[in-house]
Formats: sequence, C-alpha cells, structure tokens
Amino acid sequence: MDSVTVVVIGGGATGTGILRDLSMRGVKTLLIERGDLASDASGRFHGLLHSGARYAVTDPRSAKECIEENAILRRIGKHCVEKTEGFFVRLEGDGEDYEGQWVAGCAAARIHAKRVDLKEARRLEPHLSRRAVSVFRVPDSAIDGFRLCWQNVASARRYGGEVRTYTEATGIERAGDRVVGVTVCDTLTGAVDSIGCDHVVNAAGSWVGRVASWAGIEVDVKPDRGVLIAFNHRFTNRVINRLRPPANGDIFVPHGPITVLGTTSSPVASADDNVPHVEEVLELLHNGTELFEDLPKYRILRAYAGARPLYSPGEGRAASRDFTILDHSTDGLRGLTSAAGGKLTSYRLMAEKTADVVCRELGVKAACRTAAEPMVEDPPRRLVTRARPFFPPYGLDLAASRLGAAFGPVVQGLQMHPEERRLICECEMVTLAEVESAAREPTTFNLGDIRRRTRMGMGTCQGAFCSLRAVGALVSHDLVADKDGKALIRDFLETRWKGIRPVLWGDQIREAEFQREVYAATLNLDGTAQR
Amino acid sequence: MKGYLYDSDRCMACTSCTVVCPVAAATREFLGPKMVGPALSRFRRPALAPDLAADLCSNCKNCDISCPSGVPISTLNMLSKAEYYRHHRHRLRDWVLSHGQLMGNLATPFVPLSNLAIANPISRTMLGAFGFAGRMPLPAYVRKTFRKQFRALRQQSFPQKVVFFPGCYIDFYDPGVGLDFVAVMQANEYEVVVPRGLGCCGTPMVANGFPGAAERAVRRNVRALQEWTDAGVPVVACCTSCSLTLKQEQQELFDVPGAAELAARVYDATEFLLELRDRGKLKTDLKQLSGRYLYHAPCHLRDQGIGRPGFEMLGSLPGLEISDADAGCCGLSGSYGFKGDRYEVAQAVGDALFKKVRASGADAVISECGTCRHQITVATGAKTLHPISVMRRAFE
Repeated sequence: MDSVTVVVIGGGATGTGILRDLSMRGVKTLLIERGDLASDASGRFHGLLHSGARYAVTDPRSAKECIEENAILRRIGKHCVEKTEGFFVRLEGDGEDYEGQWVAGCAAARIHAKRVDLKEARRLEPHLSRRAVSVFRVPDSAIDGFRLCWQNVASARRYGGEVRTYTEATGIERAGDRVVGVTVCDTLTGAVDSIGCDHVVNAAGSWVGRVASWAGIEVDVKPDRGVLIAFNHRFTNRVINRLRPPANGDIFVPHGPITVLGTTSSPVASADDNVPHVEEVLELLHNGTELFEDLPKYRILRAYAGARPLYSPGEGRAASRDFTILDHSTDGLRGLTSAAGGKLTSYRLMAEKTADVVCRELGVKAACRTAAEPMVEDPPRRLVTRARPFFPPYGLDLAASRLGAAFGPVVQGLQMHPEERRLICECEMVTLAEVESAAREPTTFNLGDIRRRTRMGMGTCQGAFCSLRAVGALVSHDLVADKDGKALIRDFLETRWKGIRPVLWGDQIREAEFQREVYAATLNLDGTAQR
Repeated sequence: MKGYLYDSDRCMACTSCTVVCPVAAATREFLGPKMVGPALSRFRRPALAPDLAADLCSNCKNCDISCPSGVPISTLNMLSKAEYYRHHRHRLRDWVLSHGQLMGNLATPFVPLSNLAIANPISRTMLGAFGFAGRMPLPAYVRKTFRKQFRALRQQSFPQKVVFFPGCYIDFYDPGVGLDFVAVMQANEYEVVVPRGLGCCGTPMVANGFPGAAERAVRRNVRALQEWTDAGVPVVACCTSCSLTLKQEQQELFDVPGAAELAARVYDATEFLLELRDRGKLKTDLKQLSGRYLYHAPCHLRDQGIGRPGFEMLGSLPGLEISDADAGCCGLSGSYGFKGDRYEVAQAVGDALFKKVRASGADAVISECGTCRHQITVATGAKTLHPISVMRRAFE
C-alpha cells in the first residue's frame, strides 16, 4: 500500500490544478483519475478562456473572477492558451438595452470592452453576419483543456506530484472521524488497491456528490449538459459571442485549424451520458447561423457533449458558475475537502482556495505560487530554429507548444532519424516521433491517450489514416507489446464514430463511408468477410 | 477568390491526388497536393506568416483530375503561393518566365540577335546564375509573330466566324500552328477572327505567384472578347493551357464580370473540330496521309474533362497510324522545367514519356501543348507536331 499526504480524486482542470498547487507548496500529493486526464468536462467544453464579459450582466462576481484568472492564465499557460481575443456581436433585433447594461457590467468588472468599427470588424472577420450592428472586442482566448491538464501535471511533477490515470476511486477509508486512505481499482486490469493518506480532495467534477456519498456526506452537484460542434475550418480568427442574454449556440471559438460552436444547457440525471443527439446539433446550427450566415455550408467534423458540474440552488443558465469549497470537518469528518461547481476559466483560483483549506488543516504554511510561475518552460530558441527543417509548415510551433519538456528529445530523434519526420496524422500534422514519444509515456495506454496529447485523429479524416499508421508504428517499435493492435484501432474508431454519428450528413457522411470502406471492407476489421 | 473555404471542406483526405502527383513521385521534398492544398489550408488562417510549401507544385493539375470530391487543389496551391508573394519579393527569373508576352514584345524586333543573346554559351552561364536551368534551352523567338503574319493573311470571308486566341507560345515561338488552324478553318468555310487586345491568358503569372498581373490579363482578354462572346461566336485556342485558363482556372481564382459568359464559349481547337465533325459540319473528302505517330495528351487537356479529341480526330484521318503514349506528365509544365532548381524534378517527371518516345520509333510525336512539345524535342530529339498541323494536310 502506497502512502502520500494528499490524494486528489479527479483529473480535470480542477484536480490537476490542485495537484500542482499542493505540490508547489511542498505537500506530497497523488492524483487519481478513472480515465485519462481531461476525459470529461475539461476536455468536453468549447475551449474558451472567458474574459468574463459573458457574465458581465448575469453574474458580476464570476465576471470579475474570470478577467483576473484570464490574465493569469495567459501568462502562466502560454502553451495551452491561444491569445485570440474575442468579439461580442449584437445583431439586428437583439435588444439595445442589454448592450447598455453589458457595457456597464464590463466596466464594473474591469473587463476592457472596446467598440470596434463595423467595417473594421468585417475586415477582421469577413464571414461574420451582415446583420451585425454593434461589435466590441474583449480579451477572450482559446484554451486547450487536454494540454492544460497535462501541463499542470508537468509542472506538479517538477515538485514531486504524481498522477495515476485509469485508476478509479471506489471508497474512502476512515478511522473514527478521520480519513486515512482511498480504495482504488485499476480500470484496465481490475486490480484493487488502497492508498494511505492524511487528506482526500474530492475534485470529481459532476461526480463530486458520488465521492462524498462514500463518506456518508451529501453534496448536491447538478450535472448540466452542454453539446458542442467542431467544424473543419477556422472560419473565425476570434472568439465570437452574441451580445444578448446568454443563450444556446451563441459562442464560436477558433482552435488551431478548427472552430467550435457551443453550447446547449440542459439538466441531466447522469454526467456519464455524453452522447450528443442530432436534435441538439440542429438547434446549435440554427442559432449559430444567425452569427455566420454561411454556417450550413461549412463542414462539421463532429459533435460532443460534456456536463457542467453546477453547485447552487438555480438550474441551467440561471445557476451560478461559481465554485464552493466544502471543508467536511463541519460534517464531522476530518481530512476530506470537496471542490464543487466552478468553471474552467477560474480553475486555478478554485485550486488555490482548495489548497488553502487543505494546507490549513495540514498545518502547512507555504503560500500559493501557481499564479507566478509558468506551467511549462519555453523551448530554447536555438532548439526551435534547429528543429524547423524537420517539420512541415506550421507543424513546428504546434509541436513546440504541445510537447513541453519532451520537445528536446523529440527534436533530437527527428534529427538523428529522418524517417521519424514522417507524418502519422496529416490533418493535424503529428510526426511519427511525437506519436512514439507520447506512446512511451507510462500514462499512455491507447490511441485515445495519444490523441489527447498530440491531437492525432482530431482533424479532417477523423482517424481514417492515422489509426492504422499509429498502430503500425507502435507495434513495430514494440510499444504495445501485450496489446491487440486490432482492438486498439477498433476502440479508437468507435470513439471517433461516437462524435461523427450525430452529424452524419454532407461531407462528413462521405468521410465516414470512406473510413468504413478502409477498415470494414478493405481491412475486414469487423470480420464481415469469413474465411 | 471564390468559395475557397467550402471547396477545401470537400476534401476527404483520401490521398488520390498524392498518388497521381508526378512531382510527389519525383521528389520526397514535396509534401504532395493533399498536404499542400486542403490540409495546410486549414492552418493558413491562424498562421502569422504564409508558407511556400506549394512552391514545388508545377500546377500540372493531375491532382484536380484525380480528386473524387472536386476540390480545386492546384488552385488552392496557387492561392497560397500568391499569398506568400504578397509578403515576399519574387525572383527576377520568375518574373521573366511569367511575363512571356512582354519579353516577346521586347525580343521579337531583334531576332535573330535576341535568340543569339539568349542561346550563346556566355549568356547561358549568366542565365544559370539567375536561376535558369542551364541544360534546358529556352525556345527561340520567331522574327514574325503569329499576329503579324495573320494580319498579312488574306482570308476568304464566310458567314461562320470563329475567334482564335493565339496565346504567347504560338504568337512568339510557334506561329505555324496558328496559321495551320486558320487554314483548317478556311477549308471548312469558317472565317477566323483575332481581335485586337488579346494577350497572355495569365496562367504563367498564376503559376509564378503574380495573381495581380494574371487578373489584369484576364480582364483585358474578357474585354477584348466581349463583343464576340455577346454575338455567340466560339472562342478557340490551340494551346491547352490557354483554353483551360479561359474555361476554368480564371473562374476559380478571380471574380471578373463577363468571365463566366466567355468560359461557356471557349473550346480547345481539337475539341471544336471534333464537335463539328460529329455534327457533320466538316468536309469529308480528305487527302490520303501516311505516317506513324505517337500521341501525348497534355495534362491541361486532360484536366478539361473532354477526353482526347485530337487523338480521336487524327485516328480517323485516312492513312494515319497513331498510338497514345499514355505516359503522364512531360514535366516541363510551362515555366517550371526551365528553372534551375526544378530541372531535375521536371526531367524525372518526364522520364517515362521520354522512354516511350525513344522506344516508339514514330515519325513524330503529336501533342497540343507547345511546351510539352519543346520538352519532348529537347529531351529525346524527336520531331513534334500539333494535331492541327497534321489535320491541315488532310483538309487542304
């Protein structure tokens, strides 16, 4: 049985943020996650780093928090944040009164919202609706949730923090009124274990209530479902928000080569239900077309769904996006803290407040330093220059950002072995060297794990080419010695299919059929052709 | 730039284009049409600096021919090249190679001195220093351009008119092809018109990253042809790159009023004649010919999706024996193979065709495209002809 000071349950932004915070304060901390990092809400949102302007009217406190955290994350998270800026766009027919309230709200929250001349706005965003009547620019940004979590972990590791993915917490062990450990189950092997600790942090997002219930405590987190659509192209270079009271389908976020449209809001019984429905996609398209008139012509890559962990008396959009730290010693159990509610933009602050509570109880005096230090170092300029010839155009900067500390070894590999420069994923420009580097990580078990670290399979062909190539590379390099290559491909394609199914029309139905032809007909992956 | 966003959206990443791309087959340095066109187009909008990944693309358009989704891949490539050169200086060599009309106007009055000035060993070394391929001679200018000779020509007048679009190659290097076309049309009771104000079709400018100059060329040609297109007179070119540009490429790249109406009237010369023949409008008492020929279909003809009308026509002429080389691209691609840093690629691309030509023992190689013919002659020493020149012998 291992023993640490703190076990964090949940590998989303909040959990990894707490791991980083505690580790930086010198507390020996282990994070456990039942899947891969960011496999739920932190990877299933629109990837928007709010400026706070969205909450300027409805939730002034969140607005203020957002703009402060936005500034911090753009500084410490340079390699997972794309500083796009954002537009708030009022269309003909949208209430003018709201615009006035919104401008006042932004000013009160100290969010810099500057009016943009309509002609200039159209020059900057030529695909934007002709029905725009007011445009404001705000410091919204795009943020990569997968990378955010892994870079939190990379930072935590430098201070002794540890992570175990595919490790599900199954119970909280107690001795009298104290927490003494966590029972866990390896979700890949089924092996059961327990981890001794002085403190457990419950950062399980929508599942906070379930974890708390093991200690006999009720925490009423309401999962609120949001559906999003990823488009094949970046048809806007800025985050585009509709300037009206927050509603469904009124935010567009550009992410590297793609654009994400979101989101919906509906209460769900279980956050495990993350299959998007056609009906939801159509609603988003209907609303989104008001901001981008050509939207129905743009190709959709996939749709996905996640759940916001709302913790407040209200429901849906009326509920606060605020977070609450619950010190369960008030419930008569020492050594358990739950981080409930919240949103990605303020995850760092939520982690800081949680770590403050934990440290107070542990008697640790160290102060929070997570806002001061970048999560990953910039790669040395000379190394970047040396690496340029090894990457296709645009590939270098993407790789330098996503690889973090692994960039140096990957470049060395690319220099010594030119064949490693071949692209496994052409849509997202991921080299063989990067796939192998991700595969060698002890926390990588399947192609999905490689996808979340590299973006392999997230582009136009949705895995049609890269799954086969990646498995080929992994098998020939003995990186999957005890695994079934066919099963790896099948599992990967099934998860891709889950997102393609609700948008199965237009260009994407042709792509899906092409993929089916390759894997089912040519490679007989589903065993249609009998011997 | 029209509908570019939706066009690359249609790409299924199937990679057919990369499989058929002659440049990708010749050098691993080229990422291939799928990457350079649709795949990179997804990254170009967020990028701060444009890329030159398309520089190795020769604009031969085999990618477009193969694409099952109708993505104008080569045009995406040319657009990205144009974007690059909006921010970077062109090479002098590329300017020279793409402004054939201007160069021709300057050089023609001084023939043969101007040819000597280009072709002597000293100037060839100098051209090499400017980035021209030392081993690839530039075609020689003629003393009298096609247009000059055409003006001196006495045509019999007929009520049926056809507009001839000469293009730079025929005008400055190969006027005989244009004269052969006039003769064939006259024999079939058509009067040929060459309106004033026609110039370069624009495709060499597109291929070398001068979209502004190309658009000006398109506007000028559309204007010069307007009165004829309005009257419903067909516009015919003997150069397949000219006819392709007038029909299609200019429409993919620019938004010029009247361009679509013009495009609907444009024919390749062999396409036009085959259609007349099928409608019973060509004379049928043809002279008996003889000879064994090998036919090479230019890429820009194949991209028009009209089959091989020249090959079909010649095959039906009495006494001719003709076979299709079916050996892909010749490699020259207009100006591409004249460049020092592209010469090796261009030769590697054409190698399969050169082998076929050498092994064929044919009397001559027939091809519609002037630069294809130039490449074949330089590489193999074979005699080459435009199909219209052979037809003239049968019709006159």
